This record gives sequence, structure tokens and C-alpha cells, in this order.
Amino acid sequence: MSTPVLATPAADVGHADKGGPTLGQRLTSFMPLIALVALLAALSIADPDFLTQRSLTAVVRTSAPLVVLAVGATLVVLCGGIDLSIAALTSLSTVFFALWLPDLGGLTTLAVIAATACIGAVQGLTHVLLRIPSFIVTLGGMSIFSAVALVISDAGPVRITDRAATEWLTLYVGGYVPMAFVVAVIVVAAIALVLRLTPIQSWITATGYSEPAARLAGTPVDLVKVAAFTVSGACAGLASVMLVSRNFSGSPTMADNLLLPAVAAIVVGGTAITGGHGSVWRSLVGALVITLLRVGLPIVGVPSAWEQILYGAIIVAAVALTLDRSKVLIIK
Amino acid sequence: MTLTSPAEHVDTVVARPQPRRGVSFRDAGPPIALVVIFLAFSVLSDDFRTFTNVQNIMDTAAVLAVVTCGITFVLMMGSIDLSAPGLMGASAIAVALLVANNRNGNDLGLLGVLVAVAIAAALGCLSGLALVLLKVPSFMTTLGVSAVGLGLATLMFNGVQPNITDKMLASWAVERFLGFSYLTWIAVACILVGWLVQRYSRLGRYAYAIGGAEEVLSLSGIRVKPYKVAVFTMAGAFYGLAGVMVTSQLSAGLVQAGRGFDFQAITAAVVGGTLLTGGRGGVLHSTVGVLLVTVVINGLVQIGVSPYWQGGVQGLIVVVAVAAAVLPQRRRNQVVK
Repeated sequence: MSTPVLATPAADVGHADKGGPTLGQRLTSFMPLIALVALLAALSIADPDFLTQRSLTAVVRTSAPLVVLAVGATLVVLCGGIDLSIAALTSLSTVFFALWLPDLGGLTTLAVIAATACIGAVQGLTHVLLRIPSFIVTLGGMSIFSAVALVISDAGPVRITDRAATEWLTLYVGGYVPMAFVVAVIVVAAIALVLRLTPIQSWITATGYSEPAARLAGTPVDLVKVAAFTVSGACAGLASVMLVSRNFSGSPTMADNLLLPAVAAIVVGGTAITGGHGSVWRSLVGALVITLLRVGLPIVGVPSAWEQILYGAIIVAAVALTLDRSKVLIIK
Repeated sequence: MTLTSPAEHVDTVVARPQPRRGVSFRDAGPPIALVVIFLAFSVLSDDFRTFTNVQNIMDTAAVLAVVTCGITFVLMMGSIDLSAPGLMGASAIAVALLVANNRNGNDLGLLGVLVAVAIAAALGCLSGLALVLLKVPSFMTTLGVSAVGLGLATLMFNGVQPNITDKMLASWAVERFLGFSYLTWIAVACILVGWLVQRYSRLGRYAYAIGGAEEVLSLSGIRVKPYKVAVFTMAGAFYGLAGVMVTSQLSAGLVQAGRGFDFQAITAAVVGGTLLTGGRGGVLHSTVGVLLVTVVINGLVQIGVSPYWQGGVQGLIVVVAVAAAVLPQRRRNQVVK
């Protein structure tokens, strides 16, 4: 009785240690792009009008806030943590933007981004200094930000009368590409460039793959983590400006439903939730896939209630595919 | 058989007075805090120290207590569960459509309640299965399953709010026995069941052990996976019942019935002394935590703080409580994800 029982976990551990074959891994790493192309093809077959300049412009324009949110949070995930507060922080900063605009005018965008970066840094410091798991810090943060947003906005939308401050985001580059999407891509490129040209890339990867080893090797692990949370916060601020430019108001719950799509975008892009493996470009592709799904479901004739179910299934499936099983023997 | 009984024997016989005393001091913290906070608010506010308000507090705490009962077992294993909003939404809509209501001719009564609880338990089982079979971390599986539950609820909701006309279910929130509503007594029964499971059943014992040292447990020849799935299923059943209770309070099925309950329950459990790393805490600890959180929020409203701050106060409480719990081990745990 006891022998087979003992043998089962041992065999299990051995199997998990080997990891997947290289061919499978290579295929999985291209999966986001394959999914993007397949989705585009499927949608153009379902609706021939889909592959026009107008609807594609609309898709990338809708995707811009999601891209920015997902890219910021990707850095935290690469370090091995998670940021669950991004959506609530974005909602809060839409309220900030609407309230500060009359006083600060053109500087509001920068002020909001600076404020959210500070809030992100505070979360990072709380995580690092008090040694609280990141998902608890950000879950607590999520709750606190929603409360603050409700209180300062009196639980209602705050309208924006001066639209000049966000007008630049509604422009089109070359007449076709929405400015918001261009800004999002520039953010991705800038983060990717900074990571590549400085040692930060290897610091983040080291922290994500094996924190104790990174610490022993002299990597400034704590600093890297705080920086990741700061960038994640700043990205939430930028995403909120994009949302405001579209909705002409700030609201304490405006971005709350972006959390699940953002997490889905990160994991669909192929960034491992266990940290280390992944990139910001992957999250850009992931965000486009999620946006296409969101836009595409009604085209195919699926009721929007299925959207939630799909997100749930996608998150679990994508995490299962990209998880680095060699690292965590016990999954909590 | 022969392997397990000596282990249990050792567990009960070895009584170490030294650590026990430390634990009992730690356990006494939350109840003392509860009494102190209760007395403080009683001094500050006239409205707070009325029997009606105590009834209010108990009625408010009832749903949260049931949710926390379920989440406590998951936390004891060292896992996390964010699926309460989805599961509660699904069961709330399901029960509203199954008992006498304004949408269809169903009138299943108690059977409808059971079916709703079973639906939530099945969804809980799903997150457990995804955890042990796909090896996806529990906070991700439960986040996904919560979305699935909300989607199912939206599908069943179908644009028209189901209002319940069932006498039995409606009476739960209104009728009182010994001064407290039936919902409060249901919560008390749930806590009792939870405590019995935790104290006397193999499921509860193993949930502790999994949180304490899962490796040791599986090396000792215990199949951990079925117990993990069972714990998530049981947690799902508790959330399902909580969803039914919310439907009884509102006399209508709402998709958002469980909004925020995942976070509130984690807050309550942590405040009560359940460690997020697992292996410590329990249903009774969490009950004290539930009362503590409810009393703080009720008291703040009574002394004139805007109810919008509710979430913010909870956020602060949970961060402070977790920080206080990990402070003694700060030097030991260098790696925190």
C-alpha cells in the first residue's frame, strides 16, 4: 500500500524536473503571434468587412490603454511578483486627472503620471521592506485606491470641460494610425530599449528566475523590484490619460474591468507567471490578441456574457502552458 | 492504516507546554483587540452601544462569516482563493431562478438552495482540479474560475433581474430567533460545521498539514492532491451558501452579489490570525477576524466616517496584519514573491 503511494510523488517530481521538449517550447514561444494571425484570419472570414482600414484603426485605438497597462505590469511579473492594483490605480488617476485639470492645465498629464509612479513606488517599498507578498500588497492597494477614488469623486463621474489637454491623444499619425496606439508602442519600445542597453535586463531576469542566487550575485534585487512597481504605476497613470481622452470624464470605476484583460494579455503573451521568462513585446502582442477577442466575439455572434468565461479559461490555459515547472515543485 | 495511526497518536500525546503558551498568547491577540475596539466605539458613539446596532453587526457579519469559513481552509493549506465573487454571483442567480420567482415557474424551495450550493461547489472543484492537474498557482486558477462564474451568472441573468417570491428564502433575512435573524444562525451553524471539520475530520487535519509541510506529507505517502481538490470544493460550497444568503437579503438575484467578498474574507481571516503561508489559524480565529472587521467598519460609520472609506480601511488592515504576522520571521524569509 505504501510503496506505490511513495512512488507516485517521486515520479511526478522527476517528470517536472525535466521540463518540456525544446520543440514544444519553441512552438509555445511563437504561440502569441500565431494566435494573433489566426484570430485576424478567422475574423476576416467571419466578416469580410473586418479587414478594412477603419475597423483595424478602431481595434488598435481600443487596445492602447490595455497595452500600456499590460506592459507596465509585465515588469512586475518578470520579477516574479504580480500587480493586481493596476486597474484600480488607473480608475483613481482618471479622477485625479479630472480634478487637477482646471488648476494644472497642460501639466496635468505629467502630474498624474508622476503621482501614480510615486504610488507604485510606495507599493514596491511596502512589498520589499515589510516582506509582504506582492499580491497581498497590491490587493490591499486595489481596495485603498478604489476607496480614495470614491471619496474624492463623491462616487460619481467627474466631467472634463477643457478637452484641449487630451486632444493630442485623439489625433491620427499620417491620417491612419491613432496617436494613442503610437504612444503605447513608443512606451513599449522605450522600456525594451532601456532594458536592452542597461544591465537592468539581466537584473530583472536574474531576480525572476532565482531570487536567492541573484541576491548572492550582488544584484540590487530590492531596487529592481521597487523600480518595476514604479514603472507599473506610471503606466497606469498614462493609461488613465488615454481613457480620459476617449471618455471626457474621470470616474472611480472607469478602468476596474481592465484588470482581467491586462493579466490575460500578459499570460497570453507568454510571460511566465513564475517570473524570469518573457518580454514587454510579448505583452503588446498579448494585448492585441485580447482586444481582437473582445471586438471579435460579437462579430462571430457570441453573446458578450461569454467574454468573462473566455477570459477565465484563457488565463488558466495560458498560465498552464507557460509556467516554469522546474522551478516550483510545490504549487500553492 | 498502520502508517497513519502512530502519527496521529504522536500528534495527540506529545504536549509541548513551551510553544503552546506562545501560541495561546498569539491566539489571544485578536479577541482582546475585538473587545478593546468594541469598548472604544461604545464610548465614542451613543448609537453604537445599542442592542439594535449589535443585531445589525451580527446580521452584516453573517454572510462574511460563511465566506470566511470556506476561505480559511484554503488559506490553511497555504493557497489563496479569489473565486468568491464569481461563485457567489453564480449561486445567487441560480437560486433566484430555482425558487419561486418572477422569471419562471420553478418552485423548488430548499432543493433549489441545494442545487445552487452544488453549482458553486462544482466551480470550486474546478479550481482545485486546475491547481493539482495543470499545476497552475491557485491565485490564478481561482481568478480564472471567478471570471467563469461571473460569466455563467451573466448568462443566467439574461438581462432581466430575477426577484424571489419564495416565502422560505425571504424569511431567512427577516424572521428572528432569540433576537438574531435566521441568517445569523445559519452562519453560526456554518462556523460550527467548519470547526468540527477542521478539528475532527481527516480533511481538516490534512489541510493544516499541507500548509505546514506539504513535502513531508507527500513523502510520508499521503496523497495530497485529492485533499486539495476537496478543500477547494468545500470552500466553493460555503461561497455558494453565502450567495444564497445575499439573495435572501436582497430578495433578488444579482450578478454582483459577491463583489468584494474575496478580499473581505482574506482580510478577516488574516486579522483573525491565519497565516497566508499556511499551517496556522482556523475557523474560530477567522470568526473573531470577521467580527473585528465588521465592528471596525460599523463603528467608523457610526462616528461619522464616510462609508466609501470602507474598502480603504480594509486594505490598510490587511497590509498591517500581514506585516505584523511576518515581522518575527523577517530575517528568515529573504525571498518574498
